[in-house]
Amino acid sequence: MPGTMADTHLVIFAHAALHREAWRALLSGQPGIRLAGAAGDLAAVTSFLPAGQPGAVLVDQSPPRPDLVRRLKAAVSDCGLLLLVNTYDLGEVIPLLQAGATGCISRDSPVGDLARGIIAAGRGEIVLPPAIAGRALAALARGESVGEPGAGSVADLVEPLSDREAEVLRLLAQGLTNKDMAQTLVLSVRTVEAHLRSIYGKLGARSRTEAALWAVKHGHGLPE
Amino acid sequence: MGQNVANHASHDDQRTRVAVIGTLAEFHREPIPYNLGALVRLVSELRPDLLCLDLTPEKWQRGDFDGLPPEYREALLPLSHQTDIVVVPIAGQHPPAEPTAGGWRGRAIAVLRRWLAYLQRTAPNPAAVVEGPRHHLADLLYEAMAWLAGPETYRAWKAHTDYLSRQVLEVARRDPGRRILVAVNLRHCHHIRPALARHPGIRVVPYTQL
Repeated sequence: MPGTMADTHLVIFAHAALHREAWRALLSGQPGIRLAGAAGDLAAVTSFLPAGQPGAVLVDQSPPRPDLVRRLKAAVSDCGLLLLVNTYDLGEVIPLLQAGATGCISRDSPVGDLARGIIAAGRGEIVLPPAIAGRALAALARGESVGEPGAGSVADLVEPLSDREAEVLRLLAQGLTNKDMAQTLVLSVRTVEAHLRSIYGKLGARSRTEAALWAVKHGHGLPE
Repeated sequence: MGQNVANHASHDDQRTRVAVIGTLAEFHREPIPYNLGALVRLVSELRPDLLCLDLTPEKWQRGDFDGLPPEYREALLPLSHQTDIVVVPIAGQHPPAEPTAGGWRGRAIAVLRRWLAYLQRTAPNPAAVVEGPRHHLADLLYEAMAWLAGPETYRAWKAHTDYLSRQVLEVARRDPGRRILVAVNLRHCHHIRPALARHPGIRVVPYTQL
Protein backbone atom coordinates (compact mmCIF):
# COMPACT_ATOMS: atom_id res chain seq x y z
CA MET A 1 0.00 0.00 0.00
CA PRO A 2 2.26 2.83 -1.16
CA GLY A 3 1.69 6.33 0.07
CA THR A 4 -0.13 5.56 3.28
CA MET A 5 0.58 7.62 6.36
CA ALA A 6 3.06 6.25 8.89
CA ASP A 7 1.80 5.37 12.34
CA THR A 8 2.59 7.80 15.13
CA HIS A 9 4.93 6.27 17.70
CA LEU A 10 3.59 7.06 21.13
CA VAL A 11 5.32 7.06 24.48
CA ILE A 12 3.27 7.48 27.62
CA PHE A 13 4.87 9.45 30.40
CA ALA A 14 3.24 8.90 33.79
CA HIS A 15 4.77 8.47 37.20
CA ALA A 16 2.29 5.88 38.49
CA ALA A 17 2.61 2.37 37.07
CA LEU A 18 -1.12 1.83 37.24
CA HIS A 19 -1.74 4.94 35.13
CA ARG A 20 0.79 3.78 32.57
CA GLU A 21 -0.91 0.41 32.31
CA ALA A 22 -4.33 2.05 31.98
CA TRP A 23 -3.12 4.28 29.14
CA ARG A 24 -1.44 1.35 27.48
CA ALA A 25 -4.66 -0.67 27.59
CA LEU A 26 -6.70 2.25 26.26
CA LEU A 27 -4.43 3.33 23.42
CA SER A 28 -2.67 0.21 22.18
CA GLY A 29 -5.42 -0.74 19.71
CA GLN A 30 -6.10 2.69 18.26
CA PRO A 31 -5.68 3.07 14.48
CA GLY A 32 -2.74 5.21 13.41
CA ILE A 33 -0.96 4.90 16.75
CA ARG A 34 1.87 2.54 17.59
CA LEU A 35 2.52 2.32 21.29
CA ALA A 36 6.29 2.43 21.62
CA GLY A 37 6.41 2.30 25.40
CA ALA A 38 5.42 3.76 28.73
CA ALA A 39 7.86 5.42 31.07
CA GLY A 40 7.96 6.99 34.48
CA ASP A 41 11.26 8.78 34.05
CA LEU A 42 12.87 10.96 31.40
CA ALA A 43 15.72 8.64 30.50
CA ALA A 44 13.37 5.85 29.48
CA VAL A 45 11.32 8.11 27.19
CA THR A 46 14.13 8.64 24.69
CA SER A 47 14.93 4.95 24.45
CA PHE A 48 11.41 4.16 23.22
CA LEU A 49 11.28 6.60 20.32
CA PRO A 50 12.81 5.53 16.98
CA ALA A 51 14.66 8.28 15.13
CA GLY A 52 13.06 9.75 12.04
CA GLN A 53 9.53 8.55 12.82
CA PRO A 54 6.65 10.81 13.80
CA GLY A 55 6.50 10.55 17.55
CA ALA A 56 4.51 11.93 20.43
CA VAL A 57 4.73 11.79 24.18
CA LEU A 58 1.51 11.81 26.17
CA VAL A 59 2.26 13.41 29.51
CA ASP A 60 0.05 12.46 32.42
CA GLN A 61 1.09 14.71 35.27
CA SER A 62 -1.36 16.60 37.43
CA PRO A 63 -0.98 19.51 37.22
CA PRO A 64 1.45 19.55 34.28
CA ARG A 65 4.51 21.65 35.08
CA PRO A 66 6.45 23.78 32.55
CA ASP A 67 9.81 22.66 33.98
CA LEU A 68 9.02 19.02 33.18
CA VAL A 69 7.92 20.06 29.67
CA ARG A 70 11.24 21.87 29.17
CA ARG A 71 13.21 18.82 30.24
CA LEU A 72 11.13 16.52 28.04
CA LYS A 73 11.51 18.88 25.09
CA ALA A 74 15.28 18.90 25.56
CA ALA A 75 15.31 15.10 25.67
CA VAL A 76 13.02 14.47 22.67
CA SER A 77 13.15 17.68 20.66
CA ASP A 78 11.68 16.12 17.50
CA CYS A 79 8.60 14.74 19.21
CA GLY A 80 5.28 16.32 19.96
CA LEU A 81 4.41 16.73 23.62
CA LEU A 82 0.73 16.38 24.43
CA LEU A 83 -0.27 17.21 27.99
CA LEU A 84 -3.37 16.12 29.83
CA VAL A 85 -5.04 19.03 31.60
CA ASN A 86 -8.06 19.33 33.85
CA THR A 87 -9.27 22.52 32.18
CA TYR A 88 -8.22 24.69 29.26
CA ASP A 89 -7.14 27.58 31.44
CA LEU A 90 -5.06 29.98 29.33
CA GLY A 91 -3.02 30.88 32.42
CA GLU A 92 -1.96 27.25 32.56
CA VAL A 93 -1.85 26.49 28.84
CA ILE A 94 0.35 29.38 27.66
CA PRO A 95 3.30 28.65 29.99
CA LEU A 96 3.15 25.02 28.84
CA LEU A 97 3.24 26.07 25.17
CA GLN A 98 6.09 28.44 25.91
CA ALA A 99 7.95 25.60 27.60
CA GLY A 100 7.67 23.50 24.45
CA ALA A 101 4.35 21.66 24.72
CA THR A 102 2.75 20.90 21.38
CA GLY A 103 -0.72 20.92 22.84
CA CYS A 104 -3.03 20.10 25.68
CA ILE A 105 -6.04 17.87 25.86
CA SER A 106 -8.70 17.73 28.53
CA ARG A 107 -9.06 14.68 30.71
CA ASP A 108 -12.77 14.82 29.84
CA SER A 109 -12.09 14.25 26.12
CA PRO A 110 -13.45 11.19 24.32
CA VAL A 111 -10.89 8.57 23.31
CA GLY A 112 -11.32 9.47 19.63
CA ASP A 113 -10.33 13.08 20.31
CA LEU A 114 -7.34 11.91 22.33
CA ALA A 115 -6.23 9.59 19.52
CA ARG A 116 -6.45 12.28 16.86
CA GLY A 117 -4.69 14.71 19.22
CA ILE A 118 -1.81 12.25 19.60
CA ILE A 119 -1.51 11.86 15.82
CA ALA A 120 -1.57 15.64 15.34
CA ALA A 121 0.96 16.22 18.13
CA GLY A 122 3.24 13.67 16.48
CA ARG A 123 3.34 15.99 13.46
CA GLY A 124 4.10 19.00 15.62
CA GLU A 125 0.65 20.53 15.27
CA ILE A 126 -0.81 22.72 17.99
CA VAL A 127 -3.41 20.56 19.70
CA LEU A 128 -6.04 22.64 21.46
CA PRO A 129 -9.74 23.19 20.88
CA PRO A 130 -9.94 25.83 18.10
CA ALA A 131 -11.48 28.50 20.33
CA ILE A 132 -8.70 28.08 22.91
CA ALA A 133 -5.99 27.74 20.27
CA GLY A 134 -7.00 31.01 18.63
CA ARG A 135 -6.87 32.83 21.96
CA ALA A 136 -3.60 31.19 22.93
CA LEU A 137 -2.01 32.17 19.62
CA ALA A 138 -3.34 35.71 19.96
CA ALA A 139 -1.86 35.91 23.48
CA LEU A 140 1.46 34.56 22.25
CA ALA A 141 1.44 36.96 19.32
CA ARG A 142 0.87 39.91 21.68
CA GLY A 143 4.33 39.43 23.04
CA GLU A 144 4.32 36.34 25.15
CA SER A 145 6.05 34.83 22.16
CA VAL A 146 7.68 31.42 21.83
CA GLY A 147 9.77 32.68 18.91
CA GLU A 148 9.92 35.59 16.54
CA PRO A 149 8.28 35.05 13.19
CA GLY A 150 10.80 35.57 10.45
CA ALA A 151 8.74 37.52 7.95
CA GLY A 152 7.43 41.07 8.11
CA SER A 153 4.32 42.38 6.42
CA VAL A 154 2.27 40.91 3.63
CA ALA A 155 4.03 43.24 1.22
CA ASP A 156 7.38 41.73 2.24
CA LEU A 157 6.48 38.28 0.97
CA VAL A 158 8.79 37.00 -1.74
CA GLU A 159 5.81 35.46 -3.50
CA PRO A 160 2.15 36.17 -2.72
CA LEU A 161 0.03 33.45 -1.18
CA SER A 162 -2.44 31.71 -3.45
CA ASP A 163 -6.12 31.85 -2.51
CA ARG A 164 -5.95 28.29 -1.18
CA GLU A 165 -2.79 29.04 0.82
CA ALA A 166 -4.43 32.12 2.33
CA GLU A 167 -7.35 29.93 3.32
CA VAL A 168 -5.05 27.35 4.90
CA LEU A 169 -3.16 30.12 6.73
CA ARG A 170 -6.42 31.50 8.11
CA LEU A 171 -7.32 28.09 9.50
CA LEU A 172 -3.81 27.66 10.88
CA ALA A 173 -4.13 30.96 12.72
CA GLN A 174 -7.41 29.75 14.19
CA GLY A 175 -5.51 26.85 15.72
CA LEU A 176 -6.87 24.04 13.58
CA THR A 177 -4.92 20.83 13.17
CA ASN A 178 -4.03 19.58 9.68
CA LYS A 179 -6.86 17.07 9.86
CA ASP A 180 -9.38 19.75 10.85
CA MET A 181 -8.16 21.99 8.01
CA ALA A 182 -8.38 19.10 5.58
CA GLN A 183 -11.90 18.25 6.69
CA THR A 184 -12.96 21.90 6.51
CA LEU A 185 -11.58 22.33 2.99
CA VAL A 186 -12.50 18.78 1.92
CA LEU A 187 -8.92 18.06 0.90
CA SER A 188 -6.59 15.31 1.98
CA VAL A 189 -4.22 15.87 4.89
CA ARG A 190 -1.30 15.43 2.47
CA THR A 191 -2.55 18.30 0.33
CA VAL A 192 -2.89 20.54 3.38
CA GLU A 193 0.66 19.61 4.38
CA ALA A 194 1.88 20.57 0.90
CA HIS A 195 0.15 23.94 1.19
CA LEU A 196 1.69 24.48 4.62
CA ARG A 197 5.20 23.75 3.32
CA SER A 198 4.66 26.29 0.59
CA ILE A 199 3.32 28.83 3.10
CA TYR A 200 6.32 28.37 5.41
CA GLY A 201 8.61 28.98 2.44
CA LYS A 202 6.83 32.14 1.39
CA LEU A 203 6.68 33.53 4.93
CA GLY A 204 10.22 32.52 5.79
CA ALA A 205 8.80 30.77 8.83
CA ARG A 206 10.89 28.06 10.46
CA SER A 207 8.02 26.33 12.20
CA ARG A 208 4.29 25.94 12.34
CA THR A 209 4.10 28.14 15.43
CA GLU A 210 6.02 30.92 13.70
CA ALA A 211 3.69 30.79 10.72
CA ALA A 212 0.64 30.76 12.98
CA LEU A 213 1.91 33.73 15.00
CA TRP A 214 2.71 35.62 11.80
CA ALA A 215 -0.82 34.96 10.59
CA VAL A 216 -2.40 36.11 13.85
CA LYS A 217 -0.31 39.29 13.90
CA HIS A 218 -1.35 40.06 10.34
CA GLY A 219 -5.04 39.45 10.90
CA HIS A 220 -5.32 36.14 9.06
CA GLY A 221 -6.93 34.41 12.02
CA LEU A 222 -10.18 36.29 11.83
CA PRO A 223 -13.20 34.22 10.83
CA GLU A 224 -14.54 34.89 7.31
CA MET B 1 -13.83 17.39 -15.80
CA GLY B 2 -11.91 14.25 -16.71
CA GLN B 3 -9.57 16.36 -18.82
CA ASN B 4 -8.78 18.48 -15.77
CA VAL B 5 -7.96 15.40 -13.78
CA ALA B 6 -5.70 14.21 -16.57
CA ASN B 7 -3.89 17.55 -16.65
CA HIS B 8 -3.00 17.26 -12.99
CA ALA B 9 -1.65 13.74 -13.20
CA SER B 10 -0.03 12.84 -16.47
CA HIS B 11 1.90 9.75 -15.36
CA ASP B 12 0.21 6.47 -14.62
CA ASP B 13 1.55 6.24 -11.08
CA GLN B 14 0.44 9.81 -10.36
CA ARG B 15 -3.15 9.12 -11.28
CA THR B 16 -5.76 9.34 -8.58
CA ARG B 17 -6.36 5.85 -7.33
CA VAL B 18 -9.95 5.06 -6.50
CA ALA B 19 -11.34 1.90 -4.95
CA VAL B 20 -15.08 1.42 -4.66
CA ILE B 21 -16.30 -0.97 -2.00
CA GLY B 22 -19.90 -2.09 -1.86
CA THR B 23 -21.70 -2.69 1.37
CA LEU B 24 -24.99 -4.14 2.48
CA ALA B 25 -25.20 -1.47 5.11
CA GLU B 26 -28.96 -1.57 5.49
CA PHE B 27 -28.78 -5.14 6.77
CA HIS B 28 -26.26 -4.53 9.50
CA ARG B 29 -29.10 -4.26 11.98
CA GLU B 30 -29.54 -8.00 11.53
CA PRO B 31 -27.29 -10.63 13.09
CA ILE B 32 -24.11 -11.04 11.05
CA PRO B 33 -21.22 -13.40 11.58
CA TYR B 34 -18.69 -10.58 11.79
CA ASN B 35 -18.86 -7.34 13.71
CA LEU B 36 -18.25 -3.83 12.50
CA GLY B 37 -14.77 -4.03 13.95
CA ALA B 38 -13.81 -6.11 10.92
CA LEU B 39 -14.87 -3.28 8.63
CA VAL B 40 -12.98 -0.77 10.77
CA ARG B 41 -9.84 -2.91 10.51
CA LEU B 42 -10.23 -3.24 6.75
CA VAL B 43 -10.54 0.52 6.16
CA SER B 44 -7.98 1.31 8.85
CA GLU B 45 -5.44 -0.85 7.04
CA LEU B 46 -6.26 0.77 3.69
CA ARG B 47 -5.98 4.21 5.28
CA PRO B 48 -7.27 6.18 2.30
CA ASP B 49 -6.66 9.93 2.02
CA LEU B 50 -10.31 10.59 1.29
CA LEU B 51 -13.35 8.49 2.15
CA CYS B 52 -16.42 9.19 0.04
CA LEU B 53 -19.67 8.25 1.77
CA ASP B 54 -23.28 8.26 0.58
CA LEU B 55 -24.20 10.95 3.06
CA THR B 56 -25.62 14.42 2.42
CA PRO B 57 -23.36 17.41 3.17
CA GLU B 58 -26.11 18.84 5.36
CA LYS B 59 -26.26 15.77 7.58
CA TRP B 60 -22.47 15.77 7.76
CA GLN B 61 -22.24 19.42 8.75
CA ARG B 62 -24.96 19.04 11.37
CA GLY B 63 -23.35 15.89 12.74
CA ASP B 64 -26.76 14.29 12.34
CA PHE B 65 -25.87 10.63 12.03
CA ASP B 66 -28.96 9.09 13.65
CA GLY B 67 -30.58 7.92 10.45
CA LEU B 68 -27.40 6.51 8.94
CA PRO B 69 -26.68 2.79 8.70
CA PRO B 70 -24.62 1.43 11.60
CA GLU B 71 -21.84 0.73 9.13
CA TYR B 72 -21.33 4.47 8.73
CA ARG B 73 -22.43 5.60 12.19
CA GLU B 74 -20.60 3.06 14.29
CA ALA B 75 -17.64 2.13 12.11
CA LEU B 76 -16.49 4.47 9.36
CA LEU B 77 -17.35 7.85 10.88
CA PRO B 78 -15.70 7.17 14.28
CA LEU B 79 -12.65 5.77 12.47
CA SER B 80 -12.31 8.83 10.28
CA HIS B 81 -12.81 11.11 13.28
CA GLN B 82 -9.71 9.84 15.04
CA THR B 83 -7.46 9.29 12.04
CA ASP B 84 -6.27 11.31 9.04
CA ILE B 85 -9.02 9.93 6.83
CA VAL B 86 -11.06 12.86 5.52
CA VAL B 87 -14.76 12.18 4.98
CA VAL B 88 -16.34 13.52 1.81
CA PRO B 89 -20.14 13.47 1.83
CA ILE B 90 -21.16 12.78 -1.77
CA ALA B 91 -24.94 12.31 -1.65
CA GLY B 92 -27.32 14.81 -3.18
CA GLN B 93 -30.00 16.69 -1.31
CA HIS B 94 -32.70 14.04 -1.58
CA PRO B 95 -31.41 10.47 -1.81
CA PRO B 96 -34.14 8.10 -3.07
CA ALA B 97 -36.05 5.89 -0.68
CA GLU B 98 -35.68 2.10 -0.76
CA PRO B 99 -37.73 0.54 -3.60
CA THR B 100 -41.30 -0.37 -2.66
CA ALA B 101 -44.39 -1.37 -4.61
CA GLY B 102 -47.91 -2.71 -4.08
CA GLY B 103 -49.34 -6.10 -4.93
CA TRP B 104 -47.22 -8.94 -6.29
CA ARG B 105 -44.35 -6.59 -7.05
CA GLY B 106 -44.20 -5.56 -3.41
CA ARG B 107 -44.24 -9.18 -2.29
CA ALA B 108 -41.47 -9.99 -4.78
CA ILE B 109 -39.38 -7.08 -3.45
CA ALA B 110 -39.88 -8.39 0.10
CA VAL B 111 -38.62 -11.83 -0.99
CA LEU B 112 -35.57 -10.30 -2.67
CA ARG B 113 -34.83 -8.27 0.43
CA ARG B 114 -34.87 -11.46 2.49
CA TRP B 115 -32.36 -12.96 0.07
CA LEU B 116 -30.17 -9.89 0.43
CA ALA B 117 -30.36 -10.15 4.20
CA TYR B 118 -29.44 -13.83 3.91
CA LEU B 119 -26.38 -12.92 1.82
CA GLN B 120 -25.34 -10.48 4.52
CA ARG B 121 -25.99 -12.92 7.37
CA THR B 122 -23.96 -15.67 5.76
CA ALA B 123 -21.00 -13.50 4.71
CA PRO B 124 -17.95 -14.68 6.64
CA ASN B 125 -16.29 -11.27 6.57
CA PRO B 126 -16.66 -7.80 4.96
CA ALA B 127 -14.48 -8.81 1.99
CA ALA B 128 -17.10 -11.39 0.98
CA VAL B 129 -19.61 -8.57 0.46
CA VAL B 130 -17.17 -6.00 -0.88
CA GLU B 131 -16.35 -8.22 -3.88
CA GLY B 132 -16.85 -11.73 -5.28
CA PRO B 133 -19.90 -13.85 -6.15
CA ARG B 134 -21.97 -12.71 -3.17
CA HIS B 135 -21.35 -9.11 -4.19
CA HIS B 136 -22.44 -9.73 -7.79
CA LEU B 137 -25.53 -11.67 -6.79
CA ALA B 138 -26.58 -8.92 -4.38
CA ASP B 139 -26.14 -6.37 -7.15
CA LEU B 140 -28.51 -8.36 -9.37
CA LEU B 141 -31.07 -8.56 -6.59
CA TYR B 142 -30.93 -4.80 -6.06
CA GLU B 143 -31.31 -4.26 -9.79
CA ALA B 144 -34.37 -6.50 -9.82
CA MET B 145 -35.86 -4.69 -6.82
CA ALA B 146 -35.48 -1.31 -8.52
CA TRP B 147 -37.04 -2.71 -11.71
CA LEU B 148 -39.97 -4.18 -9.76
CA ALA B 149 -40.58 -0.86 -8.04
CA GLY B 150 -41.25 0.78 -11.41
CA PRO B 151 -39.54 3.11 -13.88
CA GLU B 152 -39.70 6.16 -11.63
CA THR B 153 -37.86 4.42 -8.79
CA TYR B 154 -35.43 2.85 -11.25
CA ARG B 155 -34.62 6.26 -12.74
CA ALA B 156 -34.30 7.84 -9.29
CA TRP B 157 -31.72 5.25 -8.24
CA LYS B 158 -29.89 5.59 -11.55
CA ALA B 159 -29.79 9.37 -11.10
CA HIS B 160 -28.50 8.94 -7.56
CA THR B 161 -25.72 6.64 -8.75
CA ASP B 162 -24.79 9.10 -11.50
CA TYR B 163 -24.68 11.89 -8.94
CA LEU B 164 -22.38 9.87 -6.69
CA SER B 165 -20.06 9.20 -9.66
CA ARG B 166 -19.91 12.90 -10.55
CA GLN B 167 -19.14 13.82 -6.96
CA VAL B 168 -16.26 11.35 -6.78
CA LEU B 169 -14.90 12.81 -10.02
CA GLU B 170 -15.14 16.28 -8.54
CA VAL B 171 -13.24 15.12 -5.44
CA ALA B 172 -10.50 13.68 -7.70
CA ARG B 173 -10.38 16.91 -9.70
CA ARG B 174 -10.00 19.09 -6.58
CA ASP B 175 -7.34 16.91 -5.00
CA PRO B 176 -5.61 14.90 -7.71
CA GLY B 177 -3.11 12.14 -7.07
CA ARG B 178 -4.65 11.05 -3.77
CA ARG B 179 -6.03 7.71 -2.66
CA ILE B 180 -9.80 7.72 -2.59
CA LEU B 181 -12.00 5.03 -1.10
CA VAL B 182 -15.69 5.09 -1.97
CA ALA B 183 -17.84 3.10 0.47
CA VAL B 184 -21.41 2.93 -0.76
CA ASN B 185 -24.20 0.41 -1.00
CA LEU B 186 -23.08 -2.25 -3.46
CA ARG B 187 -25.95 -1.50 -5.88
CA HIS B 188 -23.90 1.55 -7.00
CA CYS B 189 -20.52 -0.14 -7.44
CA HIS B 190 -21.03 -1.65 -10.88
CA HIS B 191 -22.04 1.74 -12.29
CA ILE B 192 -19.59 3.96 -10.43
CA ARG B 193 -16.48 1.92 -11.29
CA PRO B 194 -16.87 2.10 -15.11
CA ALA B 195 -18.00 5.74 -14.92
CA LEU B 196 -14.78 6.64 -13.09
CA ALA B 197 -12.57 4.38 -15.18
CA ARG B 198 -13.47 6.36 -18.32
CA HIS B 199 -11.48 9.32 -17.03
CA PRO B 200 -7.78 9.25 -17.86
CA GLY B 201 -6.66 10.84 -14.61
CA ILE B 202 -8.28 8.12 -12.52
CA ARG B 203 -7.17 4.57 -11.97
CA VAL B 204 -9.90 2.37 -10.54
CA VAL B 205 -8.30 -0.39 -8.48
CA PRO B 206 -9.49 -3.27 -6.31
CA TYR B 207 -9.55 -2.14 -2.70
CA THR B 208 -6.61 -4.41 -1.88
CA GLN B 209 -4.45 -2.38 -4.29
CA LEU B 210 -5.43 1.04 -3.07
